[in-house]
Amino acid sequence: MIKKNMSMCQAVLEHHQLLPLLPRFNIELGFGERSVEEVCRLNRVNTDFFLEIANAYLNEDYIPQTDLSLFPVSAVVEYLTCTHTYYIDIALPGMEQKIHRLLDGSSLSEKERGLVSDFFNDYKKEFMDHISREEQRVLPYILELEKQSLKKEPDREFISTLQEYTITEYAQEHDRLENSLENLSKLIIKYLPPFEDFDLCYQVLTDLSDLVRDLIDHAHIEDKVLVPRVAELEQRLIQKLDTE
Amino acid sequence: MRRVQFILAIDSYLVRKGMVAMLQRIPGASVLREFESIDLLTHYLQRHGTDFLIICDSLFLSATDLYLADPALLERTILLKQDPSSKNHGEAENRRNKIRDCIYLSEGKEEITGKISELLNPYFRNHREDNLFVLTEREKTIVRLVCMGFTNRQIAEKLFLSTHTVITHRKNIISKLGIKSVSGLTVYAIVNNIITIDEVTSKHGQ
Repeated sequence: MIKKNMSMCQAVLEHHQLLPLLPRFNIELGFGERSVEEVCRLNRVNTDFFLEIANAYLNEDYIPQTDLSLFPVSAVVEYLTCTHTYYIDIALPGMEQKIHRLLDGSSLSEKERGLVSDFFNDYKKEFMDHISREEQRVLPYILELEKQSLKKEPDREFISTLQEYTITEYAQEHDRLENSLENLSKLIIKYLPPFEDFDLCYQVLTDLSDLVRDLIDHAHIEDKVLVPRVAELEQRLIQKLDTE
Repeated sequence: MRRVQFILAIDSYLVRKGMVAMLQRIPGASVLREFESIDLLTHYLQRHGTDFLIICDSLFLSATDLYLADPALLERTILLKQDPSSKNHGEAENRRNKIRDCIYLSEGKEEITGKISELLNPYFRNHREDNLFVLTEREKTIVRLVCMGFTNRQIAEKLFLSTHTVITHRKNIISKLGIKSVSGLTVYAIVNNIITIDEVTSKHGQ
């Protein structure tokens, strides 16, 4: 488990899985002797929030130590947005490149190749759609919600829109992006003829499983941390309107 | 899959961690939070909900305010007791009669797991009835035909259905699997043995 007085260097050395998390908090390497807490403070990151996210990321069964509702919604939104950027700019393009390289050098039939490349192209498109829907609609809505809830006199017009669209609906329509990706690994491991470049093939499989894990964690933060918090803010605003 | 949430309020560190370890091994159960004192628990439950609360005898005794504020919580409370004969007194004893179930420290793994699983059953029975993520035989047939390249109209003709019904089936398939594209559906069908690679029709040729 990562703790605040640990050396940040030691934390990352012992848990290299933390590396992709750092850019999402705008934390750069070159920690020197600084502790986790010091590095967080230096980068203006809420230490408790970082610890909760990092530990939940490292251990699926981790139970939050701090009440996650204590963190501002905007911090959660910022983290999620940075994660999206990581998926779109780094994870997916990197994987796409490797998959194409793997297919090009393989002796798969046209049909088998088509299965993989069509799958990936369509998956990528659905993924991008999902994220842009979230960034254009859901996240700005959440930030506005937090802003309004801090005001003494929230905008009545905004409150009235609450009666039309609430976060619960979003949670229900929330796609399961990771399940489908896992099928691609199964296809490669179980049904396709073996690839000659097994080294590259293992890299693709490792990347796939890393991304699936990351997506599960991401969905977990959205569903378990963000959605309940937002639902609570909505309730409070609606009640405010009712009592007036 | 939705997981049934448990909150643990147990003052003994060893017992608490033991209970956490047990719950984590039961599919469908998840530990939301653990508490070792009644104050933090009460504070937490004022703002958040839980499916079940597992609470030890000594904390239960001092949980008067908690149950005054939310009497319905009793029906979701599982009391953790030293042994079946130990009794609480007065008001706590009254409360004890209304709780959901008791777990005794003297009980073995099978008994405790059995009790927890019984609590979870109703949640997952509903899931099975709704068939939330599982395709019906009819839906599997339709997936097969879609992957073989048939159009909705052709599928309708083959199965003696209206096109409208086929479209409804396809919508249900999408919402069950969360897979929208034909390419995604094809890979799903292959890895779930609904179709073989040979049977799949491909725009890339055979």
